[in-house]
Amino acid sequence: MNKTFRLIRTMLKMQYSLAGKSSGEKIGYVLLAIFLIPFSGIIISVLNSIVETLYDQLAPSGNENALLGLLFVGMTIVLLFVSLSSVLSSFYFAEDIEGFIPYPFHPYQLLAGKAAAPFINLYVTSGVLMVPILTLYGIHSGAGFIYYIYALLLFLIFPVIPFTMMAILLMFFMRFANIAKNKDRTKVFAGLLTFVFIIGFNVIIRLNQNPEQTAEGAAQLIQQQNGLLNIITGMIPTAYFSTMALQNAKALNGLFFLLLLLALSVGTIFLFLTAGQKLYFKGVLGLTAGSTKKFNSGKVSKKIKTQPVFLALLLKELRIIFRTPTFFMQIVVQSLFGPVFLVVILVFESSSGSIGALGSMLEQFDGKAPLLLLFILTLFILGVNPASYSSISRDGRSWPANLYLPVPAKTVIFSKVMTAWLINLLSIILLAAVGLAVIQMPPALFIAWIILTFLASWFTSLVGTSLDLNDPKLNWTDEQEVFKSRFISLIALLIEMGTFGFIVLLLWNIDSLQSLWMTSLLLALLLTIAIGISHVALRKLIGTKFLKTR
Amino acid sequence: MITIKNVTKEYAGKTAVKNLDLVVPDGKIFGFLGPNGAGKSTTIKMITGILPIDEGTITVNGYDIASQSIEAKKLFGYVPDSPDIFLRLKGIEYLNFIGDIFDIPKDIRKEKIENLTKSFGIYEALDNHIQTYSHGMRQKIVVSGVLLHDPDVWILDEPLSGLDPKSSYTLKEMMREHAAKGNTVFFSTHVLEVVEQLCDEVAIINKGKLQFRGNMKEMKEQFEADETLEKVFLELTSNE
Repeated sequence: MNKTFRLIRTMLKMQYSLAGKSSGEKIGYVLLAIFLIPFSGIIISVLNSIVETLYDQLAPSGNENALLGLLFVGMTIVLLFVSLSSVLSSFYFAEDIEGFIPYPFHPYQLLAGKAAAPFINLYVTSGVLMVPILTLYGIHSGAGFIYYIYALLLFLIFPVIPFTMMAILLMFFMRFANIAKNKDRTKVFAGLLTFVFIIGFNVIIRLNQNPEQTAEGAAQLIQQQNGLLNIITGMIPTAYFSTMALQNAKALNGLFFLLLLLALSVGTIFLFLTAGQKLYFKGVLGLTAGSTKKFNSGKVSKKIKTQPVFLALLLKELRIIFRTPTFFMQIVVQSLFGPVFLVVILVFESSSGSIGALGSMLEQFDGKAPLLLLFILTLFILGVNPASYSSISRDGRSWPANLYLPVPAKTVIFSKVMTAWLINLLSIILLAAVGLAVIQMPPALFIAWIILTFLASWFTSLVGTSLDLNDPKLNWTDEQEVFKSRFISLIALLIEMGTFGFIVLLLWNIDSLQSLWMTSLLLALLLTIAIGISHVALRKLIGTKFLKTR
Repeated sequence: MITIKNVTKEYAGKTAVKNLDLVVPDGKIFGFLGPNGAGKSTTIKMITGILPIDEGTITVNGYDIASQSIEAKKLFGYVPDSPDIFLRLKGIEYLNFIGDIFDIPKDIRKEKIENLTKSFGIYEALDNHIQTYSHGMRQKIVVSGVLLHDPDVWILDEPLSGLDPKSSYTLKEMMREHAAKGNTVFFSTHVLEVVEQLCDEVAIINKGKLQFRGNMKEMKEQFEADETLEKVFLELTSNE
């Protein structure tokens, strides 16, 4: 047991250590924390009004606990998703495991160590949503002291089951993935399969909620207490147990449900460690070896061709992103996640008829409103693209090659900006397809939107790359460190949404500005200015930082 | 020719290289020796532009690495101490990338890639990812990349570590040929036998300061003639 804890501590230190960070960076984190206070204030007030409205509507029929049910069901889905990517990267993509395998540890000990960092991730995720909503619910329902104790315990216990379940599922997949020949590709494939699995899970839940039936059923169910809760949590018993524990915090009943959940969680931990003991090494040993192909001299000589330096750099970047499982998952899959999810929801809504009409609705909304809304939504989706803010850090120990090869610094950096822009293009194409096929966007709106999107994508690529050049993380032992425990994505988003959020709000409120074309022209102009400023800033940064980066 | 003039480099408050003056002449194989942490890699990294220079200047064939960096970098080929770079690229993609960066015409590129990789025995691995290569194979692909663009100046940081005897012999022969054509070969090593076999001149650095510079004969003369190179080295770099 002692050794397991030592191992957990060592692994956590390697992930989260502040060692080697300058005091400037540490001050930066503190400033960021202060900056986040008003931001979280806004989120909490929004959550508060949602909780209040729902509570007041549901309470008269005794269905207010459906709100808790909804929270726990939602949290389960979110936690499953977060577990998916973090378990994959921590257990299987992280090659630091090779450093630990020669030591006399049991598979379950290594697994416990490897689980620590993803688990902290889960607590951060659920802390953002669960803590404020549970507290607000407590306030609105006038709950007593025991409720808060239970809520705290649930916050601690609840992520266990989604995490262990996802981990067991993945260990099972990976055990078979390891038999395959091209291991890098299979690793990504197994990840994608699980990704599809969750989307499918979500689809099944949605399919079970036939809108007409639900409306009828809900009318009946709402007559009886807990009726709504039962349909919401029908698929996920742990959500039901958690809700009942909180609902009956004062009664013995509540304690029973809490203990039941606790027992289940302890059970799944044992299951997880036992499955790990049997499956983990079979999945992970030898997994880091790539594939070797039969040699074909014709194929090799075909690959010898001359290209401009910029193109050579660009292709190198894209190859590295698509071939490194962690980069592929974090950059390509995650940036497609938003649009794909949107597609799933929209396609299902449209089959029920409510979205098909959205296009004509947008037409009636003539003028700037739909454009501004679409623009800010797109900016948000493009802003969270990790390809830009990992531009420099991705190179890791290959970075010095940029310094000793005779390529001008700005060529290197702009090939990286271009890479981020191209990766964004994937999301844009998907969004465009939805816009045309599902929502049936009016052509004028579509053209204006797509032009603005291309510009916005260049802007976010510039901002992300600049931020990464300013403070890159090159000394990683494992690719996931490029993305974990860095606030850079948040800063990028704050800069992008801060400036253009304000501008959109301003344009929205100028009454004399109504036409679509004027608004697009104005936005395009402002984007061009923003791009110009970012270009100057990036070039300055290249001058001061490029040679000092290592 | 590499000219290092009065170069100083500090690392986190510690002086890694102090007032270093060194000229690496053309037409000779120049060995750079010193114990671990003596400042060898720091010096090589400053020559290649990886580390900024705090004080002093370094020129490669007359081009200043700080102010005329692109021109200088076009003239040298560098083999880093760790060949673990661009692991996700295939061997052939890496060499083609280097070819693009140094503007090597297609026909020359093709011929050289074949010749070099065949003589190092990695030709048949070219279509595999560098990640799948052994340490020695990685070393060979990086060396092939350097030789591909045929630079005047070779800068090699521990080039022979990890190479099998045959490849080691091949590389040493290549170094000799290159120097014989009047070019510069500058390399660091720990292996004293290699120095004795290969080097025309050596420099020994310890704690960031130059301890000795001269040819092998001078070095033996300066000490008692019958001493082995190992003893000379230990004496020069003994801590007090």
